[in-house]
Amino acid sequence: MAILVRRSNLLAPITDTARVKQAWQSDADAITLDLEDGVVETRKAEARGLVKEAIALAGQGGAEVFVRVNAALLHADLEASMWPGLRGIMLPRVASAAEVAEAVEQMTALERRRGLAAGALELIVLLESARAVWDIRSIITANPRITQVGLDESDLACDLGITPLPEHDPYVYARGRLVIEATAAKVQPIGITYPLGVHPRRVSAAEIHRMATDARNLGLKGVLCPDPSWVAPVNAAFTPTAELVAHNKRVREVFAGAVAAGTAAVPLDGRMIDVPVDEWAKVVLAMADACDARDAQKHAPRAGS
Amino acid sequence: MAAHQVRRSGLTMPVVTRRFVDHAWRRGCDFINLDLEDSVPQHLKAHARGLIKDAIPVVRKGGAEAFTRINHDYVHADLEAIVWPGLSKVNYPKAESAEEIRLLDDVITRLERERGIRPGTVEIGANIETATGVAAAYDIALASPRVKEFGGGTGYDMSRDLGVEMFVGFEQFAYGKGELELAARALGLQVRAAPFVANTTGSVSDADRALREAQAARKCGFRLGGGLNPAVVEPQNRGFTPTAEEVEDARWVLERHRELAGTGDTWIVIDGRVIDRYEAARARDTLEWAALCTERDREKAEAVLRTRAAMAEPTPPTLA
Amino acid sequence: MSARVRRSWLVVPMSKSEEIVRASRSTADVIVLDLVEFVAEEDKPAARERVEAAIRTAQAGGAEVFAQVDPELLVADLLACAWPGLTGVIVSQLESAQQVADVDGLLAELEAKRGILPGTLEIVAALETARGNHAAYDIGRASPRIRGLTLGRADLIMDLRPEPSGEIHLMPYLMQRLIAVARALGVTPLGAWWRAPARGLLAGPDDTYHAARRGRAIGFTGSLCIDVNQVEPLNRGFTPDDAEAAAATELMTAYRAGVARGVALVEQGDRLVDRGAAAQARALLDRAAACEARAREKAEMAARPPLVRP
Repeated sequence: MAILVRRSNLLAPITDTARVKQAWQSDADAITLDLEDGVVETRKAEARGLVKEAIALAGQGGAEVFVRVNAALLHADLEASMWPGLRGIMLPRVASAAEVAEAVEQMTALERRRGLAAGALELIVLLESARAVWDIRSIITANPRITQVGLDESDLACDLGITPLPEHDPYVYARGRLVIEATAAKVQPIGITYPLGVHPRRVSAAEIHRMATDARNLGLKGVLCPDPSWVAPVNAAFTPTAELVAHNKRVREVFAGAVAAGTAAVPLDGRMIDVPVDEWAKVVLAMADACDARDAQKHAPRAGS
Repeated sequence: MAAHQVRRSGLTMPVVTRRFVDHAWRRGCDFINLDLEDSVPQHLKAHARGLIKDAIPVVRKGGAEAFTRINHDYVHADLEAIVWPGLSKVNYPKAESAEEIRLLDDVITRLERERGIRPGTVEIGANIETATGVAAAYDIALASPRVKEFGGGTGYDMSRDLGVEMFVGFEQFAYGKGELELAARALGLQVRAAPFVANTTGSVSDADRALREAQAARKCGFRLGGGLNPAVVEPQNRGFTPTAEEVEDARWVLERHRELAGTGDTWIVIDGRVIDRYEAARARDTLEWAALCTERDREKAEAVLRTRAAMAEPTPPTLA
Repeated sequence: MSARVRRSWLVVPMSKSEEIVRASRSTADVIVLDLVEFVAEEDKPAARERVEAAIRTAQAGGAEVFAQVDPELLVADLLACAWPGLTGVIVSQLESAQQVADVDGLLAELEAKRGILPGTLEIVAALETARGNHAAYDIGRASPRIRGLTLGRADLIMDLRPEPSGEIHLMPYLMQRLIAVARALGVTPLGAWWRAPARGLLAGPDDTYHAARRGRAIGFTGSLCIDVNQVEPLNRGFTPDDAEAAAATELMTAYRAGVARGVALVEQGDRLVDRGAAAQARALLDRAAACEARAREKAEMAARPPLVRP
C-alpha cells in the first residue's frame, strides 16, 4: 500500500493574500486554505469568493491543496471550495460519525455536479471535544475519504476545562488514543508535541525540528503548521536522513547474509541484527523512498497549471 | 497463588540453538520460553517444531516452567507440535482479536484431551504488539480463562507498527500500557507492567539495569520478569524477591495495624508513617509473595540437585 | 450546576464531631461527611444517627455538604444522609451502572419522603477500582444525578505505588482518562491524588498547592482532601491568580484588536494567537469571576446568624 507522505500541512488564512501567494514557496507537502479560525466572522462571506483562485495559487509548487471549512457554514463553504485542483477538505469540530456522513453526502453531490472524480476528495478531520476523543473510532471509520485525523488542542483545552501549563502535558491520554485508534484504522494521526499544539509559537528551526522528531516518535505522521517557518524543520524531522538510509541499507544486507548462512541474528556495530531490526530497516527505507518520490514530485517542472 | 506462578525471570531462546536449550536448566530461570518465532529463521521453522517435544523436559531439569512462543501465522502447525505434557504456556504474538484467542483455546483444549494433559493446564499469553491489538485489548484479555496475565504494549513490534524509533528516552507507549494494565486489573489478571525507566541504549545484557528495573517494578507491586540474555536472570530473581528487611518490616506493619482494633481510629501515623488497612494489605501481600518465592527457590534447588545427581555431577560447594 | 465552584472537598469522618465543627470554620467549598473510609465498623450506627445535625453544622460556614456512602451498605447510609441541606452523595468504590440505578432509586424515594426537591440530590461516582474505572463511561451516564467522577482513594484501593519518578503508578493515566470520560459526558472530574510520599488524599500544604496547580493543568477544577490545612492551598491552587488573569486580559485585548482590523491571527511576542487562544483566555477569566463570586457567597453565609430549628 502506498505510503501517504504529508509531513507538513501549512495553514494559510485565505484573506491573507500575501500568505496565500507565498505559501507554495515554503515547500510544504500540503497547503490548507483556511476559511475557519484564520478568518474573522465579518469576512467569511468575502473569503469564500477567494477560494477558487487561491487553489491554483497554492498548488503551483506541487503541494496538495485543502480547504478548512467552518462546521457551522458547511454547505456554503463546500460550495465555494470544491473545484478542480483541490485535494480535499479539512473538517474541524467533528463530534460524531453522523457529522462525517453529512459532510460526505454534500461532497459527493458537489463532485457529481461539478464533474469531479467521484469520491476523490479526501477528508482530514479535527477533533476538539472530549466526546470526539472518546468516540474517535466510530468517527474515523465512518468513511474511507478520511486519511488523516488530529486534535485541535486549543479548543480541546476549553472542552476539557484545562488551564494549560507548559510543564504538564494534559493530552497524554487523548493523543495516545488518537495514535492508537488512527493507526488501527489505517488513518494517519497528525499533531506536534506539547505544548506547541496548544500554544503555537514562532521559535527556532532547531526547536521545531526537535518537537517534530518527538512527535514522529510518538507515532504522529505529520504536522499542521500555523506558520511557514515551521515547514522546513518539520519536513526534515519526518524524512529519514541520508545517514540513516545508508545505515539501514547495511542492516538489510548484513541480515540477508545471516539468513543465507542459516542464522537468525548477526552482530553489527555492537548491536544484534535480527528479524525485528531488519523489519524496522524495511520501514525506514520505504519511508525514505516515499519521501524522495514526494520531493521529486514537488520539485518537478510544472507542465501547465 | 500456586508456586508455579512465580515467574520472576525467564529466557526466550530459539529452540533450534542446541546449546542454549541444553544449558537452559543451569541458568536459574523461573521459566524458559522456547521460541518458534522471531529468533528462528524462516527456513528452520518446520525443523524447529519437531524439536519442542523433547526440549520441554530438557529445559525443565532445573525446575523452570516450559513455555513456547509460536508464530502468529502458523497457529495450527505450531500448536500440534508444542502442546505436550510439561508445557505450561503458549505465548501468542501480535494478538489482535478475541476470535484469535478463542481459536487457540479450542485447539489447545482438543490437544490437552488427546494427549492426556489435565484440562486447563496450558495457559495462553496474549501478546499485544500492534495498535489494533491495543484497540481490542479488553476483549482479547477476556476471551479465554487460559489468559491469566496481561499487559505490555511496548517493544519492537509495537514500535514498528506505530512507525517509531525505540529508546528515545521518553515514554512513547503510555496509552497502550495504561489500557492494557487497566484491562488486566479490571479482569483480575496478573499484571505485566513496570514503571517507566528511561532507556536510551536498548541493551539486553546490562545486569545492573536489570536489577534496578526489577526492584522498581516490584516496589510498584509487579512480579513478572523475563529477557533474552542470561546476564539478567539472577538480577531479576533477586530484584523481584522481597529482602529479609522488607519481610521484617511487613510483619511490623501488621502488628501495628492489629493494635488499632477497638481504638475507633482507622489509621495512625507512627514516625511519620501512615499505618492503615491499605498498608496492612500490602504487608500481607509482601509476606505471601516472599513465601511463594522461598517455595519456588526451594523447588528449583531440589530440581537442580536431582539433575546433577542423575548426571553424576559433583555438587558445587555452595548452592545459592 | 456544572459551573458551581467546588475547589476544595474536605472529607471528615462522621465519628468525630469536633472535626466537623473545625471543617465548618474552614473555607472549604464542600464538606464531605464520611461514613465509609474513616469510620470504624463498630462506630457506624452511632455515626449515622448524627448526620442530620452534622449537615447543619457543616453548612454554617457556607460550604455545600456531601456525604460519602458505601454501596454495600446503601440503605443504611442513604437513610442516614438524605436530609434537607445535603447537596449530594459520593458513592465510594462504584463499579457498575446497576449500582448507580440502585442509588438513584433510593434517593428518589428519600427526596419524596423528606421534602427535598425531586431530582436535586447529586451523585459523585468514586471510581476507586479497576473495574469501576474501566466502566467509567457506562457508570457516568447511568443517571442524570451523576454530576461528577472522581478517583477518590484509588491509589490505596488499587494498591498503586510510587515509581522512581515520584509519580504514583498508573495514576497519571487514570486521571487523564477520567477527565476525558467526565467531559465527554458533561460532568465534572474531581481530583484526588498526590505524588509520593503523600498518599490517600493527605499531603502537606505546599504539596497540596502544587498538586492543585497540576490538577488544573490537566483539567481538574477541584480536589478531595482530608486535612483542614489542605483547604486553603486547594482553593488557591484552583483559582486563577492575578498574573494569569492579567495575561489572559492582555491576550484578549490583542486578539480583539486584530479582529477589529479584520485579522484573525495575531502575534503576541513569539506566540501565535487565534480564536482558540482567545477562547482559553475567556474561560480563565470566567473561572476567576466565578471564584470571586463564590468567595463573596461564603462570606455572606458565614456572617448570617445560625438557622434556628422551628
